[in-house]
Amino acid sequence: MFNFVQGQLVSIAVIIFILGLLYQGIQFFRLTKKKEWVFPPLPIENKPEKKTAEQWIIQCLRSLDGTLWKTDRALTIATSIFHVCLIATPLFLLGHNILLDQSWGLSLFSLPESFSDVLTLMVLICGTYFLGRRLLLARVRAISTIYDYIILLIAVGPFLTGFLAYHQWLDYKTVILLHILSGELMLITIPFTKLGHMLFFFLYRFFIGSEYSFVRGSRTW
Amino acid sequence: MTHQEMKPVDTKQIREMLHRKKAKMKRFLSYCARCSLCAESCFLYMAHDKDPQYMPSYKAIHSLGKLYRKQGKVNRESLMEMKGIVWRNCVLCGRCYCPIGIHIPSMITFARSILRSQDVYPQLDEASSESWL
Repeated sequence: MFNFVQGQLVSIAVIIFILGLLYQGIQFFRLTKKKEWVFPPLPIENKPEKKTAEQWIIQCLRSLDGTLWKTDRALTIATSIFHVCLIATPLFLLGHNILLDQSWGLSLFSLPESFSDVLTLMVLICGTYFLGRRLLLARVRAISTIYDYIILLIAVGPFLTGFLAYHQWLDYKTVILLHILSGELMLITIPFTKLGHMLFFFLYRFFIGSEYSFVRGSRTW
Repeated sequence: MTHQEMKPVDTKQIREMLHRKKAKMKRFLSYCARCSLCAESCFLYMAHDKDPQYMPSYKAIHSLGKLYRKQGKVNRESLMEMKGIVWRNCVLCGRCYCPIGIHIPSMITFARSILRSQDVYPQLDEASSESWL
């Protein structure tokens, strides 16, 4: 069973993850074929002047005023750290890259293990913050269901079990099996649950015409 | 009882309408992270002492979300409750903001159209015991 879980099941999970994201991406482009010009193209004579690096940095910092940085600073910091560590840790973990190299002959560069440990702890701490927020804040509790707690567990599970496995706390074989299974579960659920915001955040914010677009998106639903 | 409260619910019609926009609306509902960050973007939420019932996500989840969860099998009492959510608690000003990019006004608009199909809409020309302001 262990060979199946760390062998074929990994491939199945990765295939479902990739095909699922592809399907959702294609559906998104199919459903947003309509064009909507929110920002019409500027005439050539009114093109804005080129900014210096210093002016650009000041403009970026000023633009933070109109964002969540102003309304909920703690959450903005927690969610930024959480997402950066969530992506970076599994991609640049030494153990994962060794396994990739042994299986497929390729790998990414690896971070020092102690640094990966710190990143994992960051994910766990931020996950605890999200759990606390969901339990304690009335406005978040009002729209939360058991599904939201399960999804949080699915997102944090691989990091918790990975941390336990790395430090060899509890029975290693059981914990590493749980780690692989939780990672596979996370990959399978990403395209079909709210974890899909991994893809959709960028599709929506770049392509949908809106005053909140990162660039001049012109698609609409 | 008013005529709105007496008329039977046409579940088949509701299901047909839900099916027509299923691809877009179900995606919006499923990708909602339930983060509540849309709250401060609603002036009604801010004006009502930050009552969670006025959060854009709350309004969408408890109107359109409920219709999809129940697959249109709702009773008239539920529809009357949704009437308050989508007409009293929302003015469709379009100010609501979602960090993920979900378009909440279109969900409220769609919920309103479903309610209208069942003859449920605010009776502004009749004397009402509840305030719509």
